[in-house]
Amino acid sequence: MHKKATYLIPYLLWIGLFVIAPMALIVYQSFFNITGHFTLGNYEQYLTNGVYLKMTFNSILYALIITLSTLLISYPTALLLNRLKNKQLWLLLIILPTWINLLLKTYAFIGLFSQNGSVNDFLRFVGLGSHQILFTDASFIFVAAYIEIPFMILPIFNSLAELKPSMINASRDLGANSWQTFRRVILPLTMPGVKAGFQAIFIPSLSLFMITRLIGGNRVITLGTAIEEHFLVTQNWGMGSTIGVILILAMFVVMYLTRDRKVKGGRIR
Amino acid sequence: MKKWRISNLYLALVFIVLYLPIFYLIFYSFNVGDTMDHFSGFSWRHYATLLSDSRMISIVLNTLIIALLSSLIATIVGTMGALGIYSAKKATVKNGLLSLNNVLMVSPDVIIGASFLIFFTFLGFSLGFGSVLLSHIAFSIPIVVLMVLPKINELPKTMVDAAYDLGASSWQTLTKVILPAITPGIFAGYFMAFTYSLDDFAVTFFVTGNGFSTLSVEIYSRARQGVDLEVNALSTLMFIVSLLLVVGYYLLGRYNQNRRLQRVKAAEAKINQ
Amino acid sequence: MADNVIEFKKVNKSFDETRVLNEIDFEIEAGKFYTLLGPSGCGKTTILRLIAGFADVTSGDILFEGQRVNGLPANERQVNTVFQDYALFPHLNVFENVAFGLEIRKLKKNEIKIKVDEALKLVHLSGYGRREIAELSGGQQQRVAIARAIVNEPKVLLLDEPLSALDHKLRKEMQGELRDLQRRLGITFIFVTHDQEEALAMSDQIFVMNAGKILQSGSPVDIYDEPINHFVADFIGESNIIPGKMRQDYIVNFDGQDFECVDAGMKPNEPVEVVIRPEDLDIAPIDTGQVNVTVDTQLFRGVDYQITAHDAMNNEWKINSIHPTKIGQTVALAFDPEDIHIMRYGETEDDFDARLETYD
Ligand SMILES: Nc1ncnc2c1ncn2[C@@H]1O[C@H](COP(=O)(O)OP(=O)(O)OP(=O)(O)O)[C@@H](O)[C@H]1O
Ligand SMILES: [Mg+2]
Repeated sequence: MHKKATYLIPYLLWIGLFVIAPMALIVYQSFFNITGHFTLGNYEQYLTNGVYLKMTFNSILYALIITLSTLLISYPTALLLNRLKNKQLWLLLIILPTWINLLLKTYAFIGLFSQNGSVNDFLRFVGLGSHQILFTDASFIFVAAYIEIPFMILPIFNSLAELKPSMINASRDLGANSWQTFRRVILPLTMPGVKAGFQAIFIPSLSLFMITRLIGGNRVITLGTAIEEHFLVTQNWGMGSTIGVILILAMFVVMYLTRDRKVKGGRIR
Repeated sequence: MKKWRISNLYLALVFIVLYLPIFYLIFYSFNVGDTMDHFSGFSWRHYATLLSDSRMISIVLNTLIIALLSSLIATIVGTMGALGIYSAKKATVKNGLLSLNNVLMVSPDVIIGASFLIFFTFLGFSLGFGSVLLSHIAFSIPIVVLMVLPKINELPKTMVDAAYDLGASSWQTLTKVILPAITPGIFAGYFMAFTYSLDDFAVTFFVTGNGFSTLSVEIYSRARQGVDLEVNALSTLMFIVSLLLVVGYYLLGRYNQNRRLQRVKAAEAKINQ
Repeated sequence: MADNVIEFKKVNKSFDETRVLNEIDFEIEAGKFYTLLGPSGCGKTTILRLIAGFADVTSGDILFEGQRVNGLPANERQVNTVFQDYALFPHLNVFENVAFGLEIRKLKKNEIKIKVDEALKLVHLSGYGRREIAELSGGQQQRVAIARAIVNEPKVLLLDEPLSALDHKLRKEMQGELRDLQRRLGITFIFVTHDQEEALAMSDQIFVMNAGKILQSGSPVDIYDEPINHFVADFIGESNIIPGKMRQDYIVNFDGQDFECVDAGMKPNEPVEVVIRPEDLDIAPIDTGQVNVTVDTQLFRGVDYQITAHDAMNNEWKINSIHPTKIGQTVALAFDPEDIHIMRYGETEDDFDARLETYD
């Protein structure tokens, strides 16, 4: 029995030091101001200073736009992929880019979107003239969506692959046309995949700071950038932690909203 | 038949968009010139620069050392943790440990980075190799646990009893019966921890200091200064390494298990349960 | 002709190179209970899928009430299916599942309610409307699947082994209920099974299939008493099949003896197969019957004894008898000319029917 305790020590130590302590510390830190005095001021400032609220609102808005546009592109892709012959192989090709370092993919867009980059070349070629693409909101959303697409396709693909073909046949059999079958059978039955994708993308989109910095320009537009800014630039850790706590809360809210609503004994609608 | 054509066109478009940036990077790594917008001729020039860039090479080595060490230690601690969770008698203890285990699996990287930064500063721990290594170990442990635990749960209870029955001590039972049986899980955990570490940017970015850098952080700081085709050359090499890793994982049957994909899977499992 | 709801005309179906249906021809009359019977993989499901519109023929025609329906999508056909795995929608409750087809047809809310309640009552599930599918037993799910199909009042109901997942007792019960339901509704049922007992118990008409072909069609009694060939005889019930020779009309030779029989129309001395059902054999004291056999095994089955024995020519005999014998004992087997059924080698169903015409 003594032995058991000994071999567990490193793991318990890890839980204590790297799970509980940091989370506790970020909450603790959020109650201190920049000069190290205990205060509720950070929260007060967060809630009353329009800048923070607006930033939070924008961050949520951006994350929503990113997630929804990713969904819009990914659902049809997953649907079509599922019809292909070697679908697992094609899926592997969708997943492959996720293995390329995120920084490199983002970096590629600096080249593609630059003033004389290929995208502007193309725009000039089709007669639309060149534009400032880099450091705009649109480019930030585009790159973020680009990065996230595989993470949305995968869960939707999986839920589609699990869908029994007899479900679709049954729906057709009962008189539903393709669209009605999609609306009433396929979509509801693949909702778990959509929700998983939503979770997997929405939260990281709130906390992005690297893409924001490189592609969106030096602006604070997400909760993630705000945290990075407060911790690494202005050194206002208290405020940074406060925003961190908000982000953690947002995470719980998203997980709650996208949880499986099917509860034992009945369904909540 | 027209439908067929449109749908294939759509898929082709998705694949093009997905791969274009990557091949764009690789393409320009062979550019004689210094920009990513005009290809003026083929050359290995940027590869030569890369290979003679001693700072870059030492960063590559740092990255590898951190990845190898952190995944090794995370595997040891994680395996012990999985054994501990397995042997917990009470269901509440077991579930409690599992929930704590998963906190770092679901937390956004910025939160992990920021909270670790506070933690190290609080302890007066100097930032650099040590803090980066500890952080990588910390965020890799939960995945090792999640890889090893199912393997332990699969073990027939009677197997352990049989070992005791045949006169093995608990230590012998562990090393001669349990560990060999869960080796595949331990290896999977190790490889995953390794990719987690190689892939990480955000956490390292927060907890590094004193000039210590890893590849991701280095690429970030160079990219902030604009286009540098040495980075393109580097990305070509990294692309090849990733490809080899994926092929390796594919052969091992677990290609879809880098950090983000693991999180997607966790979300799926939670929603589907 | 006008009564045929469905007709198959020289229907072939291939997947890639492999042909799974071969020149299928049949007619389905309105209001009857049909069964497709055959071993696994013989193409039963494929036929249902062609009728429902989930798959297209490779060649040939399918007619629905005289109209060619090849290529007509499933949602525009007046048939409904009860799937082998029920295919109930897990995201909808019992009521919503049954209402699905009606909602698609945009019926009014109260009309839907009336029809759904009626359908649920028909399958003895009144009051189960709000249940989730996962909360139902296998038998209940199967009945929801039936309700979901019949509520649309289809001309034809297709049932793909709907009873295969049920336990023996429930299965027997549901066989009765289904048959009953079909009579009450007057809808044509096309029922798929590979259980011959089930087919015999339920059908007006049976199609016996093997390897993508329909071997024989007819009423249960016809098929049981006059199987067309070795396969059908063997597949439908137990039988003793002994090689023999047709001496002349109404005289067959097997086991070294001539026997009187009721079949005719073959060539003199044509080699044939002789079928005698185990339950048609009576055990009698030695030398008082047609054949003497020695008992090899005996198995008590509750209602009777299943006995195997061999004769002097080493042909094996299966006998069902309510009286026990002793292993090793030699007994006589007694049977009547009507118990003997003669099958020609390679005779098609058309030839078979034509030959019966000649002496019936
Ligand atoms: N989509 C398909 N592609 C290729 N072959 C198929 C396909 N569907 C069915 N088959 C083949 O067609 C043949 C008939 O299949 P079918 O499902 O009709 O058999 P069945 O009589 O219903 O069998 P069971 O009693 O097992 O359900 C089988 O050999 C099967 O392998
Ligand atoms: Mg079948």
